[in-house]
Amino acid sequence: MMPTSTKGVLGHFREPDEALAAAAKVRDAGWKHFDFLTPFPIHGMEEAMGQRRSWIPIATAVLAACGILFAQGLQNYVMVWDWPMNFGGKPHASWPAFIPITFEAMVFWAALGTALVAIVAGKRDTVPQPPPMVVETGATVDRFVLWISATDPKWNPAEAETFVRSLGAQGVRLVDGGADA
Amino acid sequence: MTRHDASPYATVMGDGQLTGRPIVLAGAGPYGGDLEVPEPLVTGGKTWADVDRDICMHAERFPTRRWWIAFAVALSFLGLLVFSVGVLLYDGMGILGVNHPVGWGSFIINFVFWIGIGHAGTLISAVLFLFRQQWRTGINRAAEAMTLFAVACAGIFPVLHLGRAWFAYWLVPYPNARGPLWVNFNSPLAWDIFAISTYGLVSLAFWYVGLLPDLATVRDRATHPWRKKLYNAMSFGWTGSHRMWRHYESAYMILAALATPLVFSVHTIVSFDFATSVIPGWHTTIFPPYFVIGAIFSGFAMVITLMTFMRGYFGMKNYITLNHMEAMAKILMLTGMLVGFAYSTEFFMAWYSGSEWEGFVFRNRAFGPYGWAYFIMFTCNAIVPQVFWWKKARRNTWVLFVVSILVNVGMWFERYVIVVTSLHRDFLPSSWGMYALTRWDYAILLGSFGLFFTLFLLFVRVLPVVAISEVKGVMDPKVARSAPEDPPTAAAPLAAQEA
Repeated sequence: MMPTSTKGVLGHFREPDEALAAAAKVRDAGWKHFDFLTPFPIHGMEEAMGQRRSWIPIATAVLAACGILFAQGLQNYVMVWDWPMNFGGKPHASWPAFIPITFEAMVFWAALGTALVAIVAGKRDTVPQPPPMVVETGATVDRFVLWISATDPKWNPAEAETFVRSLGAQGVRLVDGGADA
Repeated sequence: MTRHDASPYATVMGDGQLTGRPIVLAGAGPYGGDLEVPEPLVTGGKTWADVDRDICMHAERFPTRRWWIAFAVALSFLGLLVFSVGVLLYDGMGILGVNHPVGWGSFIINFVFWIGIGHAGTLISAVLFLFRQQWRTGINRAAEAMTLFAVACAGIFPVLHLGRAWFAYWLVPYPNARGPLWVNFNSPLAWDIFAISTYGLVSLAFWYVGLLPDLATVRDRATHPWRKKLYNAMSFGWTGSHRMWRHYESAYMILAALATPLVFSVHTIVSFDFATSVIPGWHTTIFPPYFVIGAIFSGFAMVITLMTFMRGYFGMKNYITLNHMEAMAKILMLTGMLVGFAYSTEFFMAWYSGSEWEGFVFRNRAFGPYGWAYFIMFTCNAIVPQVFWWKKARRNTWVLFVVSILVNVGMWFERYVIVVTSLHRDFLPSSWGMYALTRWDYAILLGSFGLFFTLFLLFVRVLPVVAISEVKGVMDPKVARSAPEDPPTAAAPLAAQEA
């Protein structure tokens, strides 16, 4: 990190295609701690930013398996072990009757878990130093904002600013920690 | 609006210019041929910044007189619900129409009716999402909210139907001091608890995940610091970072993929409540698909009803265009025909099975003392939607509105027919009887509409009623982008530390 309080450089694009092209250039120029803040997701951005596919599906699969185990465990414990009862001479472990709840529990665990995991993952998987929240970027309105964090190994304020300008970004500015640090 | 250089969408200002057919750009295609592009999903030459303004506006200003009037009406019906439920709990089930042999009455009818309505929201969000139907973006938020409120209405009825509603928690399997005495997992009624609660909570999660980016938009527009803090917390500090979007999109896709079979499973399990019994008229294998398609049908009818209001009273005509309404009309007609097909199949099977009991129940259904209900059901559900073969009817909001109301009436009567006509003439003629709703049945039914509309009216006041970030994604950037000369958005005093 630089001794100054500069946190990074911001610049924005007006169209998703411009942002996509810029992202590939930033990636190719060797920047690591950069991010795009956009009003909606852009197709192909993961690749342009050099990110791997999200690992959320794996979390979902694990959670779904937990749901299945939970439902099967509960139903078999209750119906076979804890209080077996004779319903019309059918077997205690009447597995077809356990399918609906097993399915519902699988969806329940997987869906709610995925939602929570995605929120937490999104919060944690940021650049080491995201733009301060108080800086109004317009990224939730109509701007596709590029942020290069000052924590980047290549960081040099003047160079970064020139580089972002060279991408054709508008409103390029360095942001310091100053008032809001 | 001068910067809309080449886009064919820049000049489409409203419903009057939409035809429901592609726009033909002469000479713009390959080799100098014509290029056909679909009509825009958002009209009026809106920019992305306009979308924020138009949609957040309703949550940012003091409610209009119209809203207050609608809210007062809805709230008084909610009051009716609270009062009648109070009377019901105090006096007991005797004040209702249920009797012997019709032991399942209006509460089961209302439960299936509301749960059915609740199906369109998740269908629109999940199934149409997986099928890449981009027109869903205009209506999915409100439809998902509708789902949640319909499930809330539906949830009341089985609990009240228990008779001793204060023991409703006995339905949940938990270690207890009664043995522990567990629920019977072989029973479809126990499956129902899991299905409905899963559906309600997963729909809530799906809806909320969809809301996150829009809550951040509302936050960034907020001027009051407390409002900013509140919406920031609600959006979990959403910044729009693509590192967040990456996980978000993945999660949203998975939620859609999980919600799709869930939609089908829930009404399937609701139909098991009937189909696993041995009552003629209920004990049929067609019930799961028949219930699911009926649910989608009634849900879409309610979506059309609500969208008509949103277009009219909330000025959403640029976002929920006639093309959206036409698409919904087509789904309504398709599902209406499937429902009609199910009615006919049931009749055919009653005859073809050679089962005396089954045959009697169906003859009795259509031509017995409740033939009028069957007639209403069949007319409203299978015949009325046929009007949508005509494009003029699909694009006329009055026709759409009237049909949607009739379908809702018809679908309520479908459940009435299923529940009442299968029960009222038992196997022995000595156990025959008739069923009629009492004033309390009616009061609680009307009251449930009060709950539904109260919740919906509160929703349109506090949250973005259209999925802002999704709508932005389907707009043409050439029309929607910001002006190049714009200074950095709302160059706020706090952001004055520019280099």
